[in-house]
Amino acid sequence: MKGTQLGEFEELVLLIVGVLYPEAYGLNIRTEIINQTNRKVAIGAVHSALSRLEEKGFLESKLADATHERGGRRKRLFNITAAGKGALEKNHELRNSLFNQIPELALKGLKIG
Amino acid sequence: MADQNPLYQPPKLAERILSLCCKGRLLEEIEGDLFEYYQIEREERSKFRANINYWFHLLNFLRPFALKKLGQNSNTIIMYRSYLKFAWRGMMRQKLQTGFHLLGLILAFTVCGFIYLHVQYETSYDKHHQHADDIYRIAFMNSNPQTRTPHPMAQAMVNDFPEVKRAVTLSPIYGPGMTKQPVILTQDATNVTHEVAEGYFADTTFFDVFSYEPVFGNPKDALTKEWAVVLSESTAKRFFGEEDPIGQRLSFNGMVDLLEVAAVVKDAPKASHFRFNFMLSYVTLKTLPFNEPWLSWDDFGHFNYVQLQSGADAEALEAKIPGWVTTYLNWSGGDLEALQNGDDRFALQPIRDIHLHSNLLWELEANGSYTYLLIYGVSAIFILLISIINFVNLSTAKAAQRLKEIGVKKTLGANRREVFNQFMTEAFVTTFLALVLAVPAMIWLELPFNRLVDGNIEVQNLWTADAVLVLFGITVFTAIVSALYPSFYLNSFEAGSILRGLKLSKLGGSNIRNGLLAVQLVAAILMISGSLIIKNQIEFINSKDLGFEKENLMVMDISGEPFSNKIETLKTALAAVPGISGASAVSNVPGGQFNQHSFYLEAQPDVEVDSYEMFADENAAKVLGIDVLQGRMLDKAFAADSAGTAFVLNETAIKALGIEDVVGKPLVWAENDNKVKGTIVGVVKDFNYNSLHVPIRPLIMMVAENNYNYLVAKVSPQNLQATIVSAEKAFKEVMPEVDFSFRFLDGQIEDLYREEARTLRITIILSAISIFLACGGLLGIISIVIKQRVKEISIRKVLGASARQILWLVNFKYLLIALLSLALAVPISIYLMKDWLSSFTYQAGISPLVYGLTALGVVLLIGMTISAISMRVIRANPAQTLRTE
Repeated sequence: MKGTQLGEFEELVLLIVGVLYPEAYGLNIRTEIINQTNRKVAIGAVHSALSRLEEKGFLESKLADATHERGGRRKRLFNITAAGKGALEKNHELRNSLFNQIPELALKGLKIG
Repeated sequence: MADQNPLYQPPKLAERILSLCCKGRLLEEIEGDLFEYYQIEREERSKFRANINYWFHLLNFLRPFALKKLGQNSNTIIMYRSYLKFAWRGMMRQKLQTGFHLLGLILAFTVCGFIYLHVQYETSYDKHHQHADDIYRIAFMNSNPQTRTPHPMAQAMVNDFPEVKRAVTLSPIYGPGMTKQPVILTQDATNVTHEVAEGYFADTTFFDVFSYEPVFGNPKDALTKEWAVVLSESTAKRFFGEEDPIGQRLSFNGMVDLLEVAAVVKDAPKASHFRFNFMLSYVTLKTLPFNEPWLSWDDFGHFNYVQLQSGADAEALEAKIPGWVTTYLNWSGGDLEALQNGDDRFALQPIRDIHLHSNLLWELEANGSYTYLLIYGVSAIFILLISIINFVNLSTAKAAQRLKEIGVKKTLGANRREVFNQFMTEAFVTTFLALVLAVPAMIWLELPFNRLVDGNIEVQNLWTADAVLVLFGITVFTAIVSALYPSFYLNSFEAGSILRGLKLSKLGGSNIRNGLLAVQLVAAILMISGSLIIKNQIEFINSKDLGFEKENLMVMDISGEPFSNKIETLKTALAAVPGISGASAVSNVPGGQFNQHSFYLEAQPDVEVDSYEMFADENAAKVLGIDVLQGRMLDKAFAADSAGTAFVLNETAIKALGIEDVVGKPLVWAENDNKVKGTIVGVVKDFNYNSLHVPIRPLIMMVAENNYNYLVAKVSPQNLQATIVSAEKAFKEVMPEVDFSFRFLDGQIEDLYREEARTLRITIILSAISIFLACGGLLGIISIVIKQRVKEISIRKVLGASARQILWLVNFKYLLIALLSLALAVPISIYLMKDWLSSFTYQAGISPLVYGLTALGVVLLIGMTISAISMRVIRANPAQTLRTE
């Protein structure tokens, strides 16, 4: 089913949520993406991905306490679920296995950059 | 953490928008994130940058996942859904009326769209030139204003006036007698031959002044070379296909490889006042020895264009010309005086105005007419007006029936704004539906419309900002006006008083309705009488005795190389064909363009008469049916005639000379410096060799064997097919290498009135539409009004009124309105149509019959419409109608 596939950006967000455990929420996920990948993303894009991932069951969330710097609003903290972990592992394995199947010859002499 | 750090407040409006649109579940975290983000941004950047970034990220949240689901719990959405539902039900309930509304509006929008496009096309002439607003053509305005002026004038103006930036001279390739002459171009290598019309000579500066897109080669360089030719893209394709033809050679009228293709440019858009197929340089022209006088200041024989510095005042420049030009023009006497006192003058015509406003001698192409554009525009506005009034009148009349509905709604808690919204929604639904449906209608009708009126419109051009805006504006206007009455007036009553039974007669607005009805009728009457008058004038033109017989004259083109020395043989061969009673060779045919020079009697050299000339053989008078009044027609048998020194004049020419007995008098025909001395041998009756827009001017006829362009043959209308077949056979025997082609002269003469014929077709269609719409609207209103008067009519019947009396009662008011409209429309129509007719020298006049017919038609139509509708009510049994209470 299409709904349970991981998109490229979704996978990135899912990984970052894992990296930031247990303090992952919208804004710091975005900051982390920018720091780690140098990609410019809008806050809205991150939230959109988060809500999709939650719909697909890869993430779960709970509301934390209100803080002063948020103008008294609570933040929503995200956690990877078992299904999310499964999807990440599946993707990781698939990628490794495909990479290992590339014959030496195909990559010989190619320079990066 | 410093606990109570002062916080930065993000833009309030942005927060409001977010809380309006965002799903409640997500709102808190999103707001929180954005707030936190804003704090960081403000620490690092200016407030302005931070605000912009905040806005950017906020607007980025307007995606499906974060937006509120519409319609489920929004009051506004629910209400509009119900308005739409009511609008739809209302439309479905009265399908006929809805259909008529839509049809009327669609027709009006379509007509307006078409006319808008047509006007747009006609006013777009020569717009494509980069300097279009600064380019002017020099025209010479004397008693017979002309487009052509001396060649040196153009560059002299550049030299002497700083405000003139550039100038260019051009001239079409003319055959004898000022007929544009097609040239036979041949590519010898592949033996491809085409007859190519629209050849021009132009100065080297042509491509500096006018904007053309080069396809191959450099057109500017091309015009500096002798015998180099610039081709239009379409012409190049005829000879060379898609290949690059630069350097290829073309033969010119059999002169082998005379021309070298030096450049190809894109064809000028159709909306150009001239379009060339091939162009040679004046550099080439100046190498030819025989052109000496033609290129001097003495010959008004060139089209001169000047490009002014941008923003220069053309009128101020025009005023300087008379003082300046006399240093070059070697003029004296009356001519000089006329120039100095302003009777004759040089005018600068903006090139963008040429197509619509210039109708001078020797226009490069038949121009359009501003008057007709105005007529189209006004007609379109009339139709729109009629249609809008229909919609408004019917909506308001119908609204009275919905009073109860309003009452019920109000008791259920609807406030005034909601009732207002409902009426507006309904009006918008109908008008916008009509607008949307008008688009396919226009696309579907584009081809028929273009065919019918000879138009060049493309519906896709409607997708420009201003056109869309205009149509949109009209639609919104219609909707709002039609909804005003119900949404304000009906809305103003208390729910209680409505439901208790408000008297329908109390409902006002009938005066306004009747007034609008009168406006509609005025518009319809103007259009009907206008088209009748145009029709009369065109019939008058077609049936007017032109002084020659235009029917059954076959015209063949015999200009150019292959015909020289064979004209006589061809003439004899054709005259021998059964069914052809005579053939004559002439330089010009009536309805075409004529060249103009002047003549004077040897005895009175100071009375110089500007006169058109026509070279003709001895058969011309007989074949064309021109009456000879004095003396004789030209005859080859006389040596003087063959030598071209015997002249035949028309009556107007004699009058201009101012003497009576002219036959035998010596006359000098001055073809510029070439003064031909000869004798007047005859006088012919005036005939209209030009269009009836202009008066007959002096004409001189003489024999000149080398100057014939056309062969005119008089055919008998019986067995026309057989005659044409044998004429072709006779023609082919003499000229085997030339294709046989001919046209009929009356067809060419009809072409002079093409614009009139087109206007007639358009106005007939538009007046039919307008009368249809006006009647339909009337029908709608009457049926509503009658419904409201059913009781009254029944009571009158009970009291003994006859059907006739009741009919009269119902009709009376509307007939009065019709008569009032007539009284208003007729003087306006007479004024406008007199103005239009004044563009003709020969006018049919305005017959009172036209207005009689229009009045009769309008009154009859109205009476019949009303009576037909009211008959049902009148026939009904009064007991039946009165029982319902």
